[in-house]
Amino acid sequence: MKRQVPLALCFLFGVAMIYIEFSPHPYSKAVFNEVIKWGLIISPFALVLAVVTLIQTHTSRIRFRSEHWQYSFIVFIGMIVMVAVGVPFGQLNPVFVWLYDNVQVPMDATMFSLLAFFIASAAFRAFRARAFEATLLLITAMFVMLGNIPVGDLVWNKVISWLPLPESWVLLEDGTSRMEDGASWLRQWILDYPNTAARRGIILGVSLGVISQSIRIILGIERSYLGGGD
Amino acid sequence: MIYSKTNFCVLACLVLFLCGTYAFSQEPVAPSNVVAKDTPNDDGTSITVTWDAAPEDSGIIGYVILRNTDEGEFEVIAADLDPNLSKYKDAEIEKGKDHAYIVRAVYDNETPVDSTQTAAVKATGQWFHTGKTPLFLAMLIFSTAIVWNIYHARSGREVFIRRIPGLEAVEEAIGRATEMGRSILYVLGLGGVDNVATIASMTILGQVARRTADYETTLRVPCNDPIVLNVVREMVKTSYLDVGRPDAYNEDDIFFLTTDQFAYAAGVDGMMIREKPAAVFLQGQFYAESLLMAETGNSIGAIQIAGTDSEHQLPFFIAACDYTLIGEELYAASAYLSKEPMLLGSLKGQDWGKLLIFAALVLGISLEFFGINWITTLLQRVS
Repeated sequence: MKRQVPLALCFLFGVAMIYIEFSPHPYSKAVFNEVIKWGLIISPFALVLAVVTLIQTHTSRIRFRSEHWQYSFIVFIGMIVMVAVGVPFGQLNPVFVWLYDNVQVPMDATMFSLLAFFIASAAFRAFRARAFEATLLLITAMFVMLGNIPVGDLVWNKVISWLPLPESWVLLEDGTSRMEDGASWLRQWILDYPNTAARRGIILGVSLGVISQSIRIILGIERSYLGGGD
Repeated sequence: MIYSKTNFCVLACLVLFLCGTYAFSQEPVAPSNVVAKDTPNDDGTSITVTWDAAPEDSGIIGYVILRNTDEGEFEVIAADLDPNLSKYKDAEIEKGKDHAYIVRAVYDNETPVDSTQTAAVKATGQWFHTGKTPLFLAMLIFSTAIVWNIYHARSGREVFIRRIPGLEAVEEAIGRATEMGRSILYVLGLGGVDNVATIASMTILGQVARRTADYETTLRVPCNDPIVLNVVREMVKTSYLDVGRPDAYNEDDIFFLTTDQFAYAAGVDGMMIREKPAAVFLQGQFYAESLLMAETGNSIGAIQIAGTDSEHQLPFFIAACDYTLIGEELYAASAYLSKEPMLLGSLKGQDWGKLLIFAALVLGISLEFFGINWITTLLQRVS
């Protein structure tokens, strides 16, 4: 019974949600909005439990003097201050807004800006020409990077002018160069064709995977989300 | 004599001018074929009025739409409409009431002319969106293929499934952590419990938990969604119970960090640096924080198995992790790890779907060379 009821509910709501996707009727919309509301009702209860686990985690860190346990005090100070300012005076309270704008936002921005350095270190490893595929990746990345920067086309045009290419290859009938600004053109071509083709292949696979997983869940074949086992 | 001749010429010119003016001027004409219909495939909140488009030299400078409700007075509901229009969608109707319309053509320096009144129409919502029929059929065919294969898999016939290195490495990663006496860090990403990638990730976590319970290896799961936290706790607990090791389960190892994206990344990175887990699993839905976590995991020398359906984050995982489950492999994980025939059957059905799409693409491209584009049009409608 502990399993049958959730499985039956899952089947019922799964089929109903599929139908709602194909039905513009106001009743369908009303059912959809109602179900979304139920989901929102569950969230606050779960949040209370989550906050309790957060407090438990950091309390035990302080009690057992885990490594860097002192930082757990900062978690408590931050939490108490934001709750003390935000709950009685609301989210638009100037102190709350000031704390958000001058503490939370800069810290988020700091983490985000670290990404640039991580991209550089990951790219350095990925672009090492150890195999044919890695070499291909390196060359492609070079062209994309060259096409992304303003000086890229300038470098390209200069290199093309140095190369001993036959005029019929380079010049069009009206005398203009067919290879002018080739770096940005090549970058766009790489993004539009090979890159998009690969991405669409992945998206197709993902979409079919999602449908397959959903059918398994709706039919009750995949029930690990209920707590594992059968 | 000359005088009378001049008079005659002036009179003739005047007559010709008047005749010409009469011949080239047009009487203001009322909009024709005005029809009001319930807008198809909507939720019953609009009525569409159509009429015949006026010729370019008609002299119409705009349209005005008048409406009455339940045979009341006609009121203007829209004015100064473009003269090139031949359709108007009234989205501010009163539900359950009859509406009739008049289309008024406005002329420059002329009296506006009204069309005849349309028949009264009531807007109703449709139970099925006919425009989505191709999509519905595609879903039906694909679902049937999966259900058919699941049904046949119940016979117990062996289903071939290609080797997925990322999933083969799960055992190796857990074994390594056990040998080193270090923990395993499992990150579910930023998706909520309504996200299919998160559900797939939780399924893999269930399998990982069974093995960590067996080997008595610490499994740490920081969560960013409160509901996910509760589901994951229940799931891991059941996995430990299933293998007969409820004593090894520690609820404190599955905890809530924060719902904020970069604060979550900072928390996970901090855990990696402090605890130095031997294996890191990054499975689920990720955004910009993916590389922050994967690179930190790489820097501590942990064996990393990543998996996501976010195609923009895949290159980061491929660059920074040892193994990456690409897109659909994430969804195949539960079948692959559990080896359950019914789950494996669904994978076969998934392959049938891919084959069908591939065949449609090849056929569509081939036919395009001969100028036949009905498959392309159909695929566009399905999407």
